[in-house]
Amino acid sequence: MNVLDLVRRSRKLKLFLFIGIPLLYLFIFFFIPFLIALLYSLGMFKQVVYQYIFVPRVSLDYYAGLFKYPGILKLIQRSFYYAVLTTLGTFILSYPIAYYIGVKLDRRYRDTAVLIIFTPFWINFLLRVYGMRFILHEAGLVNTFLRLLGFVSEPIKFLGTDLAVIIVMIYSYMIFMVLPLYGVLEKLDVELLEAAATLGATPLKTFLRVTLPLSIPGILAGSLLVFIPALGEFVIPELVGGPNTATLGTIIYSLFLRVRGVTGWGIGSAAALIYITMIVVASYIYMRFVGGEVVLG
Amino acid sequence: MSYAVELVNISKSFGSVRAVSNVSLSIRKNEFFSLLGPSGCGKTTTLRIIAGLEEPDTGVVKLDGRDVTYVPTHKRNIGMVFQTLALFPHMDVYDNIAFGLRMRNYSEADIRRRVREMLDIVRLSGLEHRRIHQLSGGQRQRVALARALIVQPAVLLLDEPLGALDLKIRQHMMVELKRVQREVGTTFIYVTHDQTEAMVMSDRIAVMKDGVIQQVGEPYDIYMHPRNRFVATFIGDAINLVEGDYASPGVVKTSLGDINVPSINEYVGKKVVFAIRPEKILIGGEVSSDLDNVFVGRISLTIFRGAFIEYRVYVDNMEFVIFKPHVGVSYLLLKPGDMVKIGWRREDGILMPE
Ligand SMILES: Nc1ncnc2c1ncn2[C@@H]1O[C@H](COP(=O)(O)OP(=O)(O)OP(=O)(O)O)[C@@H](O)[C@H]1O
Ligand SMILES: [Mg+2]
Repeated sequence: MNVLDLVRRSRKLKLFLFIGIPLLYLFIFFFIPFLIALLYSLGMFKQVVYQYIFVPRVSLDYYAGLFKYPGILKLIQRSFYYAVLTTLGTFILSYPIAYYIGVKLDRRYRDTAVLIIFTPFWINFLLRVYGMRFILHEAGLVNTFLRLLGFVSEPIKFLGTDLAVIIVMIYSYMIFMVLPLYGVLEKLDVELLEAAATLGATPLKTFLRVTLPLSIPGILAGSLLVFIPALGEFVIPELVGGPNTATLGTIIYSLFLRVRGVTGWGIGSAAALIYITMIVVASYIYMRFVGGEVVLG
Repeated sequence: MSYAVELVNISKSFGSVRAVSNVSLSIRKNEFFSLLGPSGCGKTTTLRIIAGLEEPDTGVVKLDGRDVTYVPTHKRNIGMVFQTLALFPHMDVYDNIAFGLRMRNYSEADIRRRVREMLDIVRLSGLEHRRIHQLSGGQRQRVALARALIVQPAVLLLDEPLGALDLKIRQHMMVELKRVQREVGTTFIYVTHDQTEAMVMSDRIAVMKDGVIQQVGEPYDIYMHPRNRFVATFIGDAINLVEGDYASPGVVKTSLGDINVPSINEYVGKKVVFAIRPEKILIGGEVSSDLDNVFVGRISLTIFRGAFIEYRVYVDNMEFVIFKPHVGVSYLLLKPGDMVKIGWRREDGILMPE
């Protein structure tokens, strides 16, 4: 009997191949590093040169260390501020686009339209963000336009401000909002909207009572897909922001890659765990609030 | 008195397809009116034009005498039951039915009372808090009906609402629909490609083909006096057609010989189609010698259809379909291969222009 026969015969082996391998992958590349970070943050794991030492004692020193960090609360607050505004911004800009493509546009052109929305993503993320630097620069495209149209006489200084960070974050994350919204709106049965009209609903009421509630799964998916990575964003604040746009992500990044050492990794791990906890709590509250009935019953 | 719905010279094309062609209809108040025709003949398009979901290329739509051609759907005071039902999946039965009242800003107490009443009429009491996906096909159909009826629309449009149901429930729902229509006293415009549904429920029927109205009339009228070949074959289970010349008043010359028919002067000298319904033909011992039309043929097939027997009889090259109720053991007396006389009375024949 060869190996293939063996696989064919055994349900357990099939199951293992089917979900075991993906699980193993997640185990190695997600669960174990996560566990190490957890142990690190609790001071239970230490690396000295090439030796790894397990310390069977829980200590919250690194967490305390993190909160002694100057301005840490300000950073957390700013991370939330950016993430919330990015989520709102992407939602407001994406919904009309997704609605137009998914509901109004002739079915034949929908795939093409989605492809066009994707075009910016053919270019590497870092290059795109660099590109935005030029667009937002004092001598850049936006300022030139504003000046030509006579809205401003002095160029506006975007780079280094919250506004620049949020504009670029919205731009970078928008696709993660558009796609799930398009997904639900494309499946929306237009006859439901017509049915509402025959029952006397104005277009606005139809939107509020039918279209919007039926988009909730897409709104939930989209806002989580945007909010979660946006909360940890540090590249965009680094590239288009300035000294006043550092975030929790910035801190984690610099603790791991600039401070380093046992302390850097320890406090960095504590920061990362706090970040993860915040995501879990915020997502849970959000799902309860927006999609309670749909997602959690 | 004005009509509930009036269509005047309505036409509508999609690209090169002429979906509705010069349709004019006047539908009376409290009438159960059916639009009957084969798939793709423009029934749904006509209904959608009445509802304002589609704008006609030409023509006028009037509701209760008022020109509403360019009035948006939500201001037309119509109800509609869609072919797909289009129930709101994110609401339960109660909220689906209450939707129209909420749009009209009724108080919640008022809504509760009216929804109760409506649940009673469509026999869904006790199911108000079910989700749509927890209902059977027939129950969904009744929710759709209740949702459309509760706002007391001047006209209720129904687009093949029974299409998805199996035969037994369909028969049951036909009777229910008729009962509900009497109870609420609303104008129903019912679209179907099923002539039985149209015959069972309608006060009047409009038969449509390729976007054109072929004939409008009461079921009896359309069945007994079809105006053309299409209507004759589309209505009823079967019909026997013979082409011929209307040579002299009361006689049609055909390949089978002369057929005696009612005297209609306008056909004299023209080519005509003679038609006779299967149940109007007498067979075997029923044929007396003084009958207006008598032919001899050979039985090719007998089919037991339950309530009646279907005989296929060849006279020359023409196969006649004959329906006979069976009383006692009469059907056993005639067998395939037997030579029999068949015949019919002059006034049972139907004449149509070629
Ligand atoms: N939105 C549309 N775009 C293009 N052609 C259409 C559209 N709607 C209907 N048609 C065409 O118009 C004609 C009439 O369609 P309609 O839906 O009114 O038929 P129907 O009588 O309701 O048929 P069925 O019994 O199959 O529902 C058909 O040939 C159909 O293909
Ligand atoms: Mg149709």
